[in-house]
Amino acid sequence: MSDCHSAPVKTTAQLVLRDVSLPLIALAGQPNMGKSTLFNLLTGLNQHVGNWPGKTVERREGIFNVDGDEWRLVDLPGTYSLTANSPEEVIAREFILREQPAVVVAVVSAANLERSLYLVAELAALDAPVVVALNMMDVAEQEGVCVEPHVLEAALGLPVVPMVASRSEGVRELLCVVQEVLSGKRLIRPHSAEVSADHYEILQKIEELIAGYVPLPYPENWVALKLLEGDVEVARMMREALSPSAWEVVQVVLRAHDDAFMAVASGRYEWIGRMIRAAVTRPRIGQIGLTERVDRWAAHPFWGLVLLAGILGLVFWLTFTLGTPLQGWLDGQIITPLAGFAADALAGAPFWLRGMLVDGMIGGVGSVLTFLPILVIFFAAFALLEDVGYMARAAYVMDNLMHLMGLHGKSFLPLFLGFGCNVPAIMGTRVIDSWPARLLTILIAPLVPCTARMAVVAFIAPVFFGVNAIWVSWGLVLFSLLVLVSSGALLNRVIFKGQRSAFIMEMPLYHIPNARTIGLLVWQRALSFVKKAGTTILAMSLLVWILSFLPTGDMNTSFLARFGQLIEPVGKLMGFDWRLTVALITSFPAKENAIATLGVFFGNSAGSGLADTLASTFSSASALSFLVVTMLFIPCMATVAVTKQETNSWRWTLLSVFMLLGFSVTGGIVVFHLARFLGL
Amino acid sequence: MTILEKLLTEIRQGGTLDTRKLAVQLNTSPQMVEAMLEHLRQSGILRTYESCDDACGGCSLRQSCGSPKSGKPVQLWQYVQPH
Repeated sequence: MSDCHSAPVKTTAQLVLRDVSLPLIALAGQPNMGKSTLFNLLTGLNQHVGNWPGKTVERREGIFNVDGDEWRLVDLPGTYSLTANSPEEVIAREFILREQPAVVVAVVSAANLERSLYLVAELAALDAPVVVALNMMDVAEQEGVCVEPHVLEAALGLPVVPMVASRSEGVRELLCVVQEVLSGKRLIRPHSAEVSADHYEILQKIEELIAGYVPLPYPENWVALKLLEGDVEVARMMREALSPSAWEVVQVVLRAHDDAFMAVASGRYEWIGRMIRAAVTRPRIGQIGLTERVDRWAAHPFWGLVLLAGILGLVFWLTFTLGTPLQGWLDGQIITPLAGFAADALAGAPFWLRGMLVDGMIGGVGSVLTFLPILVIFFAAFALLEDVGYMARAAYVMDNLMHLMGLHGKSFLPLFLGFGCNVPAIMGTRVIDSWPARLLTILIAPLVPCTARMAVVAFIAPVFFGVNAIWVSWGLVLFSLLVLVSSGALLNRVIFKGQRSAFIMEMPLYHIPNARTIGLLVWQRALSFVKKAGTTILAMSLLVWILSFLPTGDMNTSFLARFGQLIEPVGKLMGFDWRLTVALITSFPAKENAIATLGVFFGNSAGSGLADTLASTFSSASALSFLVVTMLFIPCMATVAVTKQETNSWRWTLLSVFMLLGFSVTGGIVVFHLARFLGL
Repeated sequence: MTILEKLLTEIRQGGTLDTRKLAVQLNTSPQMVEAMLEHLRQSGILRTYESCDDACGGCSLRQSCGSPKSGKPVQLWQYVQPH
């Protein structure tokens, strides 16, 4: 043995197929553990590649020479376990049981032993002589994972050889150990995993029932274990091996313990846990410690929500404090003078052309573009929270809240997507299996305040509420969520009927934000907004202007005015005149159109900016009502289209539209009259 | 109760769970939790959803759904009610 460890092992690969007289070595392991690297290293180019008999699974085999001794090497398919979940798993275990290799080399990853050892537990249960190749020691070291091979060897009762196959490190030592096992110098006495204690008697009973009937070469205890696990292949084999009455008795026992598969797996994970505790050390790194400390508050069921509300308030404060002056400056110094300049330059042009360009284009699109600074700050704040790793915590605590309210956990993720845009939120409901649950989520998803709605709030709130805009915006978001949660809880009680499900997410560690990542996110979102302003909003602004110009050239007698006056009675209940009512309706193609339409109506009147004109035209009660209605109003055209696509039903789509219309009109009427009562 | 049973109990209670918190609760490593989740998925007890699709371009949770930094999609595991 000492010679073996001191001298290099010479290996020579040859293309000699299936010489059954040679010692047979099998390479087993999960995918991506370096098994193929090791196989190629040992056999070189001289290997035979074919298929396993009757299967499309690749079979690789080669012969190599170690110090003059020839060994046959078979690369088994990569498998996570040896239960009949896949053809690969059946091939691997049938090969080990039928061909009985002299040694099975189990290639495991030192960086993720928790996952790798399950297969080792199964191999040990097969009574196969297993040698563990502890590969990827370099990766483990890089990740700060310390594995002690000797301790692991003692705990497993199997030889363990540390190695880095990609650098050919440890290969010589591995072959030495295999040689020792082949020569009988090293005996293997595995410390096998046991089924959990509460199912031990059942396992024994199954063993007694099948004793003497198990076909060779299958070990009886292994077959009993696989029957408990519910292995379909083994069950089929034993159904044929036993008499119908004996098989029925086995079936009765198995049916009475249909949770036994958990007991078997539990036993193996308890065993893995013991191995890990013995041999693996994962030093706590500072970043994890910081994350855990912060998460005690950020992910706390109550304080997490308080923190989220605080952060949301802070984002609005920052947005308005920095963004509103910039918006005012753009409006007063760029858009209004630009409109004046354009009007002067086009003095000789036809009246309709001047009106369309000055009032329609600059008034509409220009007004929307003035709140680009507000949106950039808003996007930057959220990009920062996202990059730091906070947004996943926001999702986590929100879901807890929703569960308290009785809303279904499955619905949470798509709903959260709605904060960006309602379209992916509705498409995201595809993760929900139950059709009623999915439908309900589709129905309530448009109540999540999307970025476009927040843009309207970001523009209107400071115009009417000044320094209190933060509280108004904050209150509007909470109000929307309250309506969502209330309607969701009500619908959940009626249709979900108390089903529970869980999403397990991996929360990223908190880390220092990257300026480039944030900049890129802000740039992408701002660009997308500007593109929208240049297409949808521009088209709608021009359409609104044309309808406000035709047929007389006077807005007050235009088609738009006639339409607005027709529906004005409903608008008046909410404190709107016909122009605000029309602005609301034009938000259907895109929510930001509401601002563009107001820009067309008021943008350049008497040389003052849109904000000043709006503030002097409407009361705060009307503005608050307008914001509430905007938050609850029928979703944009794209959302309605995707609702139709996902429900495949006009009936449900129209129900969604009319339900939200009902919510928004009722909300607007209540809020307007309440605000008037309070003297706003 | 075994570690796997404890994990399943937590999942059955519903809600959004974090692998690291689960690891602390179960007195084990996040890698062990992930290994057990993967095992439960292969056994058909959990279903997994990987990442978000392209429709999530404008969503502020996009990065959490598929982190471009780590190159590793965050998986969402859903408990499947036994029939």
